[in-house]
Amino acid sequence: MDDLERAILISFDESGTIDSVLKSQAIAYCQQIKESTSICSICMERLCISKIVQVQFWCLQSLHEVLRVRYSSMGPEEKSFVRKTVFSMACYEAMGDKSSVRVLEGPAFIKNKLAQVLVTLIYFEYPLIWVSVFTDYLPHLSKGATVVDMFCRVLNALDDELISLEYPRSADETAVAARVKDAMRQQCVSQIVRAWYDIISMYRNSDPEVCTSVLDSMRRYITWIDIGLIVNDAFIPLLFELIFSDGLPDQLRGAAVSCVLAVVSKRMDAKPKIRLLQSLQISRVFGLIAEDSDSELVEKVAALLTGYATEALDCSKSLNSQEDIAVSMELLDEVLPSVFYVMQNCEIDTTFSIVQFLSSYVATMRSLSPLREKQLRHVGQILEVIRALIRYDPSYRDNLDALDKIGREEEDRMVEFRKDLFVLLRSIGRVAPNVTQVFIRNSLASAVASSTDRNVEEVEAALSLFYAYGESISDEALRSGSGILRELVPMLLSTRFPCHSIRLVALVYLDTIVRYMKFVQEHTEYIPMVLAAFLDERGVHHPNVNVSRRASYLFMRAVKMLKAKLVPFVETILQSLQDTVAQFTTMDCTSKELSGSEDGSHIFEAIGLLIGMEEVPLEKQADFLSALLTPLCQLVEASLLNAKVRNPEDSCAKIASIQQIIMAINSLSKGFSEHIVIGSRPAIGLMFKQTLDILLQILVVYPKVEPLRCKVTSFIHRMVDTLGTSVFPYLPKALEQLLAESEPKKMVAFLVLLNQLICKFNTGLHDILEQVYPSIASRIFNILSAGGLSFWTWEQYRGNS
Amino acid sequence: MALPNQQTVDYPSFKLVIVGDGGTGKTTFVKRHLTGEFEKKYEPTIGVEVHPLDFFTNCGKIRFYCWDTAGQEKFGGLRDGYYIHGQCAIIMFDVTARLTYKNVPTWHRDLCRVCENIPIVLCGNKVDVKNRQVKAKQVTFHRKKNLQYYEISAKSNYNFEKPFLYLARKLAGDPNLHFVESPALAPPEVQIDIAAQQLHEAELIAAAAQPLPDDDDDAFD
Repeated sequence: MDDLERAILISFDESGTIDSVLKSQAIAYCQQIKESTSICSICMERLCISKIVQVQFWCLQSLHEVLRVRYSSMGPEEKSFVRKTVFSMACYEAMGDKSSVRVLEGPAFIKNKLAQVLVTLIYFEYPLIWVSVFTDYLPHLSKGATVVDMFCRVLNALDDELISLEYPRSADETAVAARVKDAMRQQCVSQIVRAWYDIISMYRNSDPEVCTSVLDSMRRYITWIDIGLIVNDAFIPLLFELIFSDGLPDQLRGAAVSCVLAVVSKRMDAKPKIRLLQSLQISRVFGLIAEDSDSELVEKVAALLTGYATEALDCSKSLNSQEDIAVSMELLDEVLPSVFYVMQNCEIDTTFSIVQFLSSYVATMRSLSPLREKQLRHVGQILEVIRALIRYDPSYRDNLDALDKIGREEEDRMVEFRKDLFVLLRSIGRVAPNVTQVFIRNSLASAVASSTDRNVEEVEAALSLFYAYGESISDEALRSGSGILRELVPMLLSTRFPCHSIRLVALVYLDTIVRYMKFVQEHTEYIPMVLAAFLDERGVHHPNVNVSRRASYLFMRAVKMLKAKLVPFVETILQSLQDTVAQFTTMDCTSKELSGSEDGSHIFEAIGLLIGMEEVPLEKQADFLSALLTPLCQLVEASLLNAKVRNPEDSCAKIASIQQIIMAINSLSKGFSEHIVIGSRPAIGLMFKQTLDILLQILVVYPKVEPLRCKVTSFIHRMVDTLGTSVFPYLPKALEQLLAESEPKKMVAFLVLLNQLICKFNTGLHDILEQVYPSIASRIFNILSAGGLSFWTWEQYRGNS
Repeated sequence: MALPNQQTVDYPSFKLVIVGDGGTGKTTFVKRHLTGEFEKKYEPTIGVEVHPLDFFTNCGKIRFYCWDTAGQEKFGGLRDGYYIHGQCAIIMFDVTARLTYKNVPTWHRDLCRVCENIPIVLCGNKVDVKNRQVKAKQVTFHRKKNLQYYEISAKSNYNFEKPFLYLARKLAGDPNLHFVESPALAPPEVQIDIAAQQLHEAELIAAAAQPLPDDDDDAFD
C-alpha cells in the first residue's frame, strides 16, 4: 500500500479512531493529488492495480469531477487517453498485463461509478467527437454477462444522469439530452433493441439475472424510442413467453411484465393506442394473479392490469367514434374483474394506484346515467372490495380494545388507510345511491349473523361504511329518508349488535346515530330508541370510559338537534343520568385521565340544554335546576370551609374536585338564555346569582391557585352572558379579586374579561369601570415598568379591544 | 452486521445514511436523540458526522450508525463516497423550501448508484413552520419509487421515531417489530400546531387520490 492508498483509506475512515491531525493531513494529501495535472493518469494506473474499493471509488469519483469541471481545458491527447481507457474498462479489456485488476470484477457501486464516468464522456462527446461509442460497445456484448451487465448500467446511468425527466435539469442539459436521443434514434437504437432481443433469447435460461437487467433498462427506453421496435411479432411474443415461463425467477418475469406496462403506458393518440391495447390480449395474464397472493410477480401484474385499465378508460374519454368507444369499454370491462380480484385477494402494495384508477372510473359514471347493468355490477364489486379492505384483522381485537401501543398504531394505520377508500365509497354513493344503500343494509345484516370469531370486525366495518356514506347524503335526503334510508336508520337503532362492549363498535355506532339524526328529527317516533342507545350501556353507561365520555359529547349534540322534541322525556333522561352526574363530581383526581375536550362535562351541557328550554314549565325547571345546583354548591361550600385545616395532598384532591364542579356548573348554565333567566323567569336567575356568590368565594379562599382562578373567570364569562346587567353588583368585588393576585401573564385573561364586558354593555359599564379603572391602570403600569408584560401580550390586548 | 470501519457492538447495528440539501435539518434531526450527542450551535456539516443511535425493540436493542452527510456541495468531503456500504437511508427535505424537494430525486439517484436496493425513508422536515411551501399533496416522489414518506418536525420531535421504526422493520424483515421504550429526546423547542398538521395530513390523503403528475418539472410551475 502506498501513500495515496493509505491517505484515501484514512480519509474514508469514520470510526473515530483516527487521529484528527493525521486525518486532515491525509485529506489534504488526497486533495493535492486531485489537483495535480496528471490526475487522470494517476487514477487510471491506480484502477489497474488496486483492489481496495475505497481507492477504486476515489479514483472514479476524481475522474468524474475532473471531467465535469475541467473538460474544456483538457488537451485532445488527454481526452483521448481518458476515453480509450474508460471504454476499455467498461468493455472488460485487460489493462496491461494479465494480473491487472478489472473494474468490472468489483462490486456494483464501483461499476455504477464507472458508468457515470462513461456517461459524462457521452455528455461531452456524443455524437460529434465520439460517434461510435454505442456501435463500438455492441460487439463486446458477446463477451458475456459481465459486459452485458455493464452495458445495462451505462444505459441506466445515461437515463438517470441525462435523459429521464424525473430530475431537475438545466437548459443545457435538456439540450444535450435531445441531441443524444436524436443521434441514438438515427444511429443505433434499432441495433441496441436487436441486441436486447438477442441477449434475452440467449441468456433467458442460463443467466436470468442479466436478462432482468436488460429488461429493466429497456423499460426506461420504451418511453422515447420507436414503439414499433418493441411492438412487433418478435418482441411482444418473447415478453409474454418470459412472463409465462413458470421455471424462471419472479424477478425476470416481473421485469418482462413491467416492459409490457411501459408499452401500455406509452404516450400516443387514442386510436392507435386502443389497437395496441387490443393486440396485447391482456386476458392471458389474468391467470397469473391467482397463483400466489403476495409475490413480486403478482405485484407487477397488478400494476400492469391497473395501468391497462387506466389507459383503456382514458381512451374511451378521448375517442369520438361510438365504435371506438365501445371497443375501449369492452377492453375495460374485460380487465376490471381481475383488478377487483387483485385488490381483494392479493396482499400487495398497489392498492393506492388501484383506488386512484377506480376513483376515475367511478367519476366517469357521473355522466352516464342510468348505469348499464354491467356497470352496476362493477359498482357492487367495488363496494365488496372496499368492505373487505377496511376490515380490521381479528388478531388485533384485544389490542384495539385495550388501546395499547399496538392497538393505537393499528387504529391510526387503519384510519389513514380508510380515507381514500371512503372517498371512493362516497363517489359510488353519489352515482349509485340505491346500490350503495342496499349494500350497506346487507352488510349490516350479514355482519350481525356472522360467526363470533369475526363478527366484531364485520360489524365495525359495516357500521363504518354506513357512517362514511352519510357524509355524502344531502340534508334533504337525510331528513326524508330517501331510498331505503327510512329502513336503514331504524334498523341501526333497533339492532342489537352482539359486540357492543367492544370500544370501536360502540364508538362508530354512536357516531353513526348522530350522523343520521336529521332523519330522527323528522321521524320522532324513533326518539325513544335514540335515547335508549345513548343512555344505556351502549352509551354513557358503557364500561369503557373512552366510550362513555364520547357518548356524553355525542348525546349533547343529539340533544342540540332534537331540542324541544325531547321535552316529554326530560324526566326519564335525568333519572337515568343521576349516577353519571354524581360520578363526575366525585371523581377521584388521581384516577381521572382527562383527554382533551372529551372530559365528560358534556353531559352537564346536555342536561342544561334540556332543562333550560322554555318549553319546560317554570316549576319543573326550578326543581330540576336546584336538584343539580344545590348539591354542587354545597360541595363547594363545604370544601371552602375546611380549606384551611387540610394538608397539601388532601387539598390537591379538593382543588381538582372544585375544578370539576365549576366545569359542570359552567356547562349546565350554557342551556339557559338571558331571555329566560332574567326576562321571564327571575327565580332561575336568582339561583345562578346565588351560585355566582358561592363560586366567587373561591377567589377569596384560594387566591393563588391558578387553575381555580381560570375556571372561576370562565364562569364569570358565562354569567355575563346569562345574567346580563344583573351581573353588575358582583363585578366590582370579582374584578378586584382577580386583579389583586394576578400575575403579569394572567393579566391578559383579566383584560379579555374586561373586553367582553365593554363589548356587551358599552356605556352601561361606565360606573363600574370608573370605579375599578384606577387600580387596573396602576397595576398595568406597575407591570409594564417592571417589564413583566411583554410587548406581544400588550399588543394582543390592544388587538382584542 | 458489523461495518467495515465502525467499532462493533454486541447487538445488531446498521449504517444509516442521511442525505438532503443543506439546511434541511439533518443534523438537528439526528441530534434530537440524546444517546447520540447534545446539539452544538448551528454550523453546516463538514463532510460527515457519524452518530450511533440506539433503539429498544421487542426483539432487543438495535443501533443505527447515522451518517449525517454535508448537504452543501462546498462542504462535501467525500460526498457519495460516504454512502458506501450504507444499509438504509433517510432523504430529508424542508417543506418550507421548494428547491429542497425538487432536489430529492437527485439525492435518491446518487444514493441508489452506490447503495442498490436499500430501504429509504423520505422525510419532509419543519412541518411546524406555518408558511409551508411544499404542501403535503405536492409530495409524490415516494410513490413512484416505493419509499416511505413521513412529515416530521425535528424541533418539536414530531414523528421522530417513525423513520427509524420503518427502517428497523424493513431491515429485520419483521413488519410487527416495535419500539418498546421511547428514546430520550431533547425537549421540544417548539410546539407543533396539531390541528394544522392534521389538516396537512388530510391533504396528504386527498393528494393520494390525485393522479401522479407525468413530469415532476411541472409540479411546481
